[in-house]
Amino acid sequence: MFIGTLIYALVNSVILILMAMGFNLTFGISGVSNFAYGALYVLSALVTWILLRQAEFPYILSAGLSILFTALVGAVMYRFILMRVRGQALSEVIATFGIGLAILELFRYLGFVGFEYALPVFIDESIVIAGNDVDVQRIVIVIVSAVLLFGLWWFVHHTAIGLAFRGIAQDERTAMTFGIDSDRIAMWSVSIGAGLAAIAATVIMPLGTISVEEGYDVLLNALAVCIIGGLGSSGGVIIAGLVVGFAQRFTDTYIGSHWTMIVSFVAILMVLVIKPSGLYGKQKELEERI
Amino acid sequence: MKKRMAVAGLFWVLGFVFSFSAYAAEPIIIGVPTFLTHVDGKESLNTLQLAVDEINAQGGVKVGAQKRPFKVESLDIRDGAPGVPVPEALLGIEKVILEKKPTALLIGPFRSEALMASLDLIAKYKVPMIGSIAMIPASEEKIKNEPEKYKYIFRNCLNAKYLVVNLMGIMSFFNKEFGFSKVFVMHQDVAWARATAEGMIKNFFEKSGWSVLGQEAYPTGAADFSSGLMKVKSSGAQVILPIFDMASSGVLVKQWKSMKVPALMAGFVSPLAGPGGWKTFDGKIGGAINVNFEVGSAISSKKWPKSVALEEAYKKKYKRALEGGHGEAPTYDAVYILKEAIERAGTLDADAIVKELEKTNYEGVMGRSKFDNGHQAIFGMDPKEAVVAAAFQWTEKGGRVVVFPESIADGKIKLPEGLKSAK
Repeated sequence: MFIGTLIYALVNSVILILMAMGFNLTFGISGVSNFAYGALYVLSALVTWILLRQAEFPYILSAGLSILFTALVGAVMYRFILMRVRGQALSEVIATFGIGLAILELFRYLGFVGFEYALPVFIDESIVIAGNDVDVQRIVIVIVSAVLLFGLWWFVHHTAIGLAFRGIAQDERTAMTFGIDSDRIAMWSVSIGAGLAAIAATVIMPLGTISVEEGYDVLLNALAVCIIGGLGSSGGVIIAGLVVGFAQRFTDTYIGSHWTMIVSFVAILMVLVIKPSGLYGKQKELEERI
Repeated sequence: MKKRMAVAGLFWVLGFVFSFSAYAAEPIIIGVPTFLTHVDGKESLNTLQLAVDEINAQGGVKVGAQKRPFKVESLDIRDGAPGVPVPEALLGIEKVILEKKPTALLIGPFRSEALMASLDLIAKYKVPMIGSIAMIPASEEKIKNEPEKYKYIFRNCLNAKYLVVNLMGIMSFFNKEFGFSKVFVMHQDVAWARATAEGMIKNFFEKSGWSVLGQEAYPTGAADFSSGLMKVKSSGAQVILPIFDMASSGVLVKQWKSMKVPALMAGFVSPLAGPGGWKTFDGKIGGAINVNFEVGSAISSKKWPKSVALEEAYKKKYKRALEGGHGEAPTYDAVYILKEAIERAGTLDADAIVKELEKTNYEGVMGRSKFDNGHQAIFGMDPKEAVVAAAFQWTEKGGRVVVFPESIADGKIKLPEGLKSAK
């Protein structure tokens, strides 16, 4: 059972990292806390479902279009709403949270409630790893996450826009003196963050059924991982994802499943007490600021 | 002058006529505060509206000398959503009572925690309520201990005690036919599921020589059951007893299949309740057994035609099948039960309606509805005598066969492929 727990803990960690990636990217680049993140995650899953089940498009096309659509929604959201309140942290939170609520409650109102809203797994098989049956979908999640992490690294190191991202993240004003348009980069970051949420939904949602409540759960998980790891730090998100993911699965196995949900919140509490900026956070701790 | 008087007189006459018409058509308000964005809440509201439309089409409810239509006023109180505190749900119930002034409440709170908290509220406002989702037996104890105060509260759906009775019947069959005696209990960490799990362990498994190899409680929203399923595998359990109503319990079923856990799944998992479960789980649920809490709630029996009639009427009106396994049938019956109670009382007075509700003896979709002294519908094994639940088994080809109780069974429980009898 120990090996099995290790395997599923790793998968759980990767799921958390994948969920948090987009949120972290958006905040790290543009400083925008996108509280509509969970709603975009559910939006993408439901758009895929509609294209797949109602319009009867092929699965890969449905997923691709859904990812593009969600990224576009992110861009539109920034261009027409967030750009006006950028820099006002509380207003950004309220605006994005409001947009998220509107999206999720609209789906509820339209009746997207029920167990028929589910996405099929990519390959309906299991493989045996160290004597444990693991479904291929979970393996796919690990592979996709690894590819995405590498892809993001390559993007921010080897593309013009990626370098602009890093410039804005390092020092926005200096980046602007180099002719980098801060608002355009912020829009790209929100859009790509939304796209990452959509990719996460595409690979994770087939594990269960699509429910509107999951939007709130995803946001909480993403926030927990980012706060523990340090907002804006990719390395922090990976470490935090591993810490929380392993803690949850080992708690489940060796202590009790009903304690699992509080693991994230206990971890947040501990981090805020010991190191408020997070494990690899760039924000200065209160004492340093004073 | 004469012309003005004539016009005024005409308006006076028209006003009198229309006000009289409005008075004659004044609807009887049914308040529905429940979790409308869960499939059970949503479909229960649909079956309620179906019954209301049928009754109104026949002229409505006879109150004294008048016939009045029913009108539904619903509110989503979100009490079943993870993280929503109970006081929020109570605010919603109070809002419905104060703003809509209903004659009665139907369906009621989704969560047992919200039901228990709402008892004093309903007692305060003296509004009869026939609950058809929340299942905790503790509400009946309150009614028995203080009948005058809590007399307004009724429940015509299955409660946790009767769920235990039905599960006992299925587990006894497993033991008798296949020699199974090792079980692993996995349940949601909410009041009704805990009560059911504890009831099964204390009142059946421990007394019948079964070994309970593990018990895991999952908070609402949990989405990874791998640890629990690994424990099932390593313990050698032959049967998994799942007790879940949350949407994410679909992950449990998928993981059960993908991890190739060699144990029969027999209990209640919401996503398995309706015909759509076959497509949701890619046809991988052959052999699983689900207890739908009332016959007619997403499962019908050819031996009880009224359950088939509801299934067909629902499909005709809403162009889709019933998928939720709890609340739909009792809600449909509750509308007719309320209608008959009002007609016998001849008034909309709450106390008079309550007196007539206590005398209910109604044959409907679920069977014969009667209330005990805790205002709980009496469940049994024969729909001619009591209301019944219905356990069914998924076939390997996507069909569903009712297997328990015998009075409505269309077939027998079969061991699914890959599982061996212990005999």
